[in-house]
Amino acid sequence: MIPQIALVGMPNVGKTALFNKLTGSFQRVANFPGVTVEKKTGWISEDGQKIIEVLDLPGLYSLDATTLDEKVTKDFLLLKDKSHHSIHFILVLDATNLDKSLYLAFQLKKLGYPLLIALNLMDEAEKRGLKLDLKLLSQELNADIVPTSASTGLGIDQLIIKIKNLSQASNDLNLTIPQEVQKTFRSPSYINGIFKEVDELLAKVTIQPLKPDTLSERIDQWVLHPLWGGVILVSLLILMFQTLFSWSAPLSDGIEFVFSFLSELVTQNIADKTVRSFLVDGVLSGVGGVLVFLPQIMILFLFIQFLEDIGYLGRAAFMMDALMRKLGLPGKAVIPLLSSHACAIPGIMATRVIDNYRERLITMMVIPLTTCSARLPVYALLIGALIPNKAVAGLEFIRWPGLMLFFLYMFGFFSAMLMSLIFKKSLPHSSPSMLLMELPPYRIPKLKNLMLVMLNKGKIFLKKAGGIILIISIVIWFLVSFPQSNGQSSIESSYAASIGRTFEPLFKPLGFDWRITTALIPSIGAREVVVSALSLVLSIEEGSEGFENNMSMALVNQFGIGTLVALLVWFVFAPQCISTFAIMRRETNSYLWPSVMVAYTLLLAYGMAFIARHISSFLF
Amino acid sequence: MTINEAPILQKVAITTAQMRSDLSDVESRLMHLGFIEGAKIVVKRKSPLLNGPLLVEVRGRVVALTQTEANLVRVELCP
Repeated sequence: MIPQIALVGMPNVGKTALFNKLTGSFQRVANFPGVTVEKKTGWISEDGQKIIEVLDLPGLYSLDATTLDEKVTKDFLLLKDKSHHSIHFILVLDATNLDKSLYLAFQLKKLGYPLLIALNLMDEAEKRGLKLDLKLLSQELNADIVPTSASTGLGIDQLIIKIKNLSQASNDLNLTIPQEVQKTFRSPSYINGIFKEVDELLAKVTIQPLKPDTLSERIDQWVLHPLWGGVILVSLLILMFQTLFSWSAPLSDGIEFVFSFLSELVTQNIADKTVRSFLVDGVLSGVGGVLVFLPQIMILFLFIQFLEDIGYLGRAAFMMDALMRKLGLPGKAVIPLLSSHACAIPGIMATRVIDNYRERLITMMVIPLTTCSARLPVYALLIGALIPNKAVAGLEFIRWPGLMLFFLYMFGFFSAMLMSLIFKKSLPHSSPSMLLMELPPYRIPKLKNLMLVMLNKGKIFLKKAGGIILIISIVIWFLVSFPQSNGQSSIESSYAASIGRTFEPLFKPLGFDWRITTALIPSIGAREVVVSALSLVLSIEEGSEGFENNMSMALVNQFGIGTLVALLVWFVFAPQCISTFAIMRRETNSYLWPSVMVAYTLLLAYGMAFIARHISSFLF
Repeated sequence: MTINEAPILQKVAITTAQMRSDLSDVESRLMHLGFIEGAKIVVKRKSPLLNGPLLVEVRGRVVALTQTEANLVRVELCP
């Protein structure tokens, strides 16, 4: 087994940059056991050999942990996880702000930790004129200190040598901190005492103090300005929205193109109908259905990580906090909520920007109600059947269908907000809802870190959600294509139709007959599939001449207006998409919350569709 | 007065930041961030719209906090 070390430090001390510098691109991202806090593992290598495992622990302000992230690191430090008893810790300090970061150093020193300290961002601190008596600092803290800089590479080699020495020495660290001692972390006298020690030490070791950094302050004059800051924030959010909607489209189209090419290849080369259908409609459409999410996920995380690394994410939270709090959510929730209008999958993954787990959970629970782009083909079909394409009040540029679509967006968004208020009232409090956070100084993002995060997010999605999505896609293919008679299959005689018929009585109050309930089954894979499924049950060939008109006529004639309105409302609320379930399972690390999500959205969909049908039947 | 009522861009000193011995999570986080008795802080920015949050400089860093959080800390003007 190779030796392990863990990087510990407060937030915003450049810990992740140092981690990337130490480990290169040998990294793996997973969750800590039992919780959805990201665990980054990397390796220091020598001549292509991994020699030391490095763990990047979540940042913490103090050992008196108040957030989930902090608790994970605290448990690690207090060796609650016995599998890591032989680990060594490296404390990362911010040389440009020792006032704050020495606090953690004293906390650890008090507990008797042998410390190896990386005095990070030293290049920047020296540029700003800081001169320290490092020897005295090291004596006073009883620690080995290496000045480092992740951007210039200062001290990295020296740090690696120290790490190697450390990991060869045996670690007989056996710290079990009694509960009573842990309680003192929270007492005013303990906290005051540590700050006093920090101040005294700093007075002793500072030869020349740091010149204040005015750049961040000057940038904030604009970025946090009530008017200009708002303009900047809204522009960035529009840019994010635009990127997700339009700029990821060529990539998704490319993926779809490759898969339709592969399907064509299979169709031409495989004679057996069942095998062909299995490969084309089951496997290829399943794999394609997974991969098609990748561009949006990776682009969104590139964007979010850029904002995080440059220091803007916290500022966005500050700007949005008051407004979002009125809706029951923290300021940072604006990013997942907006991006879920493109697709709920990246939106749910993006809820990790929210520190408070309860608020994160609430955001995840309401995200499926926002109008994702997969609903658009369904809305287009149903609006086309229900609403005449006429100008509103003689204004040519406002037309009724467009207005209806806008109304549906608002309907989804406000339902999400209403549900978030309900969840806020009903979910138990686990940790307090706090803003209380540090706004870091602005820094130039490192391209390498952005790339690593982007690739890791893509990998996690494929590994953790891809499998379930693929399996369900194949199950749905099976239900729609079997049993066969004379080698032929049709949706009317399929297992899906039997299921549809079984559920028909349940959906009678909504006006859904077996054809609609059957068409809803494949839409569990992806919502937009309901369009082609409806065309199958109505025997109208998709893509044929006048398809849209014929579909509209058939829908109205066969089902009636009341039922179509009910179906439209059903799609505003119903969970439908298995990918949402899969990603929520991964992001909440439980089956409970995704099940609650499915249950409440189904109930809501049923109730609202019922009301909508009866109101519209009354009106028309 | 509390941080909420403190004048903007003027140095103020914290008189009492929750001196009860059992601190709540929020109070504890406040203290660990440096909001302790005697600490000198500066309110950098207030966002009055919708009772928005404040920015406060404490121990060389800028901290964002809601008005509710800011109300937990009492301050007085530095002479």
